[in-house]
Amino acid sequence: MNSILLSAIWGIVMMFSGIFTKSKTAIRNTAVLGLALLVIVNYADMAGYHVEIDTHKMLFFDTFGLLGNAIAFVSTLLLVLLSGRDMEKIGNNLAEYFALIFFVLCGVAIVTTFNTLLMLFLGIEIISIPLYILTGSDKRNLKSNEAALKYFLMGSFSTGLMLLGIAFLYGASTTGTFFIDDIWNQRPQVAPVFMAGLLLLLVSMAFKVSAAPFHFWTPDVYDGAPTVFTSFMATIVKVSIFVGFIRLFDEAFGSAQQTWQIFVALIAAATLFVGNITAVFQQSVKRMLAYSSIAQAGFMLLALLALNGIAKEGIILYAAAYSLATIGIFAILIRMKDYTFEGFNGLARKQPVLAATCTIFLLSLAGIPLTGGFFAKYYMLTSVIASGHYLWLVVFAVLCAAVSVYYYFRVIQAMYFKDGEGTTEREPSSGFKGLLVVLAALVILLGVFPQALLSQLSHFIYTW
Amino acid sequence: MGITQVLFWFLSIMAILAAILVVISKNPVHSVLWLIVVFVAISGHYILLDAQFLAIVNLIVYAGAIMVLFLFVFMLMNLNAETEPQKNRWLKIAGVVTGGALLLVLVAALKKADLKAQIAEMNKGDIGLIHNLGVTLFHDYVVPFEISSVLFLSAMVGVVVIGRNEREQKDMWPHGNNYGA
Repeated sequence: MNSILLSAIWGIVMMFSGIFTKSKTAIRNTAVLGLALLVIVNYADMAGYHVEIDTHKMLFFDTFGLLGNAIAFVSTLLLVLLSGRDMEKIGNNLAEYFALIFFVLCGVAIVTTFNTLLMLFLGIEIISIPLYILTGSDKRNLKSNEAALKYFLMGSFSTGLMLLGIAFLYGASTTGTFFIDDIWNQRPQVAPVFMAGLLLLLVSMAFKVSAAPFHFWTPDVYDGAPTVFTSFMATIVKVSIFVGFIRLFDEAFGSAQQTWQIFVALIAAATLFVGNITAVFQQSVKRMLAYSSIAQAGFMLLALLALNGIAKEGIILYAAAYSLATIGIFAILIRMKDYTFEGFNGLARKQPVLAATCTIFLLSLAGIPLTGGFFAKYYMLTSVIASGHYLWLVVFAVLCAAVSVYYYFRVIQAMYFKDGEGTTEREPSSGFKGLLVVLAALVILLGVFPQALLSQLSHFIYTW
Repeated sequence: MGITQVLFWFLSIMAILAAILVVISKNPVHSVLWLIVVFVAISGHYILLDAQFLAIVNLIVYAGAIMVLFLFVFMLMNLNAETEPQKNRWLKIAGVVTGGALLLVLVAALKKADLKAQIAEMNKGDIGLIHNLGVTLFHDYVVPFEISSVLFLSAMVGVVVIGRNEREQKDMWPHGNNYGA
């Protein structure tokens, strides 16, 4: 509850900070302070210190959800520290952008800890509506406008599907309830209405995490949105919706796993295929990263498929590794003059620190050993193997991961082995470089000592 | 067949026919007018279900306010049948196929549903009165109710971000106040 309250309040604080000060640095520092506080109060919630509010069991604060929160808040903090300065260039409403980001975080905190479909819907909407606006915040850019409109129309449509699904589930439940642990309620067999509701929810959630074949909005929206907000959408929002996705299917539909597993398997396979194959043909690094985020969503769907202890540990690890690496790459990308692959030519000679850290992030996304991404992918695959079904999907996922190496290495090749200017917009400050190094160190740390984090995780998850 | 059932079937057929007309009307203004009929029919259903307050709110907000906004937008954009963009034939076929598939799933799901409740609740109680609604809303559902305020606040902030003029605003509000103006 702490983080929901604080993020909503701090959103209002940010909103009013635009009135009291014109200094952009002051506004940014207020946001950083708020994010740091969010991390702290979320940790306090995990440790057992929280505000007592009777939510009528509509929210349930277990460690899985709170860990998801922690990853989202820490990632946002890093994002703002790295790219906060670049947000000033988008437009004049800096305070409002931060306010919207805090509102999104409020939605994130709800989606990771919801216990009724009502709260899930509210959380998803609180995430979506500020995102539509952030996507279109670069008002002079036609592509940004188009992206915002596209995202808004498709997003509202998928929200409509979600509501229809919730209505069906409400009708299918024997007592008329929105609580996710009562929906199933020991029924002997799956009623068709229940199944229809489940499928509609699956479709709308798959849309929100941009899984194929509901991914068509992703490349355009991620490409059109200002790069800082693309980074925000592709990492924090996506992984926290995944946490909610797994929570929903585990609590509400876990007992009916046999009936829906095949759909998730097909969606995962399609997502892996479309994301990885299309990414190969991209000319712009930003668009490539959009497709790569689709491909990574395919890997995260494996956790939804398996839905066992390893999967839950794995999704947290995956969320951390993926968010850190992607935020790092986007932070570097924002500083580049040219977003195409050619723009990265010769970066290693001009900016050795940027190139080296970027390489580590890309290796992590590709899943090369000694980086966090390797163990994240390993856990996803292990969880499916442990569940014993859909082994073909494991083979397919490994093949797709091999394809992904190609397009990630194209950037590395451009940076190190091609001649070119590799021009950045301005000389990156030493603080920026230092943070990138810290981020890269974290990614490697996750890869070298995953046990340190994972033993903590499994301790948390199994004792919850 | 009592009066309730006659009303139920009448309202249902009216809602479905009007909804189909919303989709197939060439003129967007006609679509909006048919949409009002849909909302009125659905409000009638709410009354049959003993939800009087909901029925009135549905009429005032949807059939009233939102439809007026729709009409304003159409007038401002000067939309009419001629400006409707031509859609690709394959796109239309794909739309029909996917929409038909969804319809099939939904009909199949609802066909087998066991009808637990009656189609209408007549003279049954006061569940839809404002008093009871208020008690439920501010007791059982107070947390979602409060949290939805974050949703509306973010939408309001969004309106400010989207609506404010980028070039003028630098010196328009020297003291920086006045969000609503």
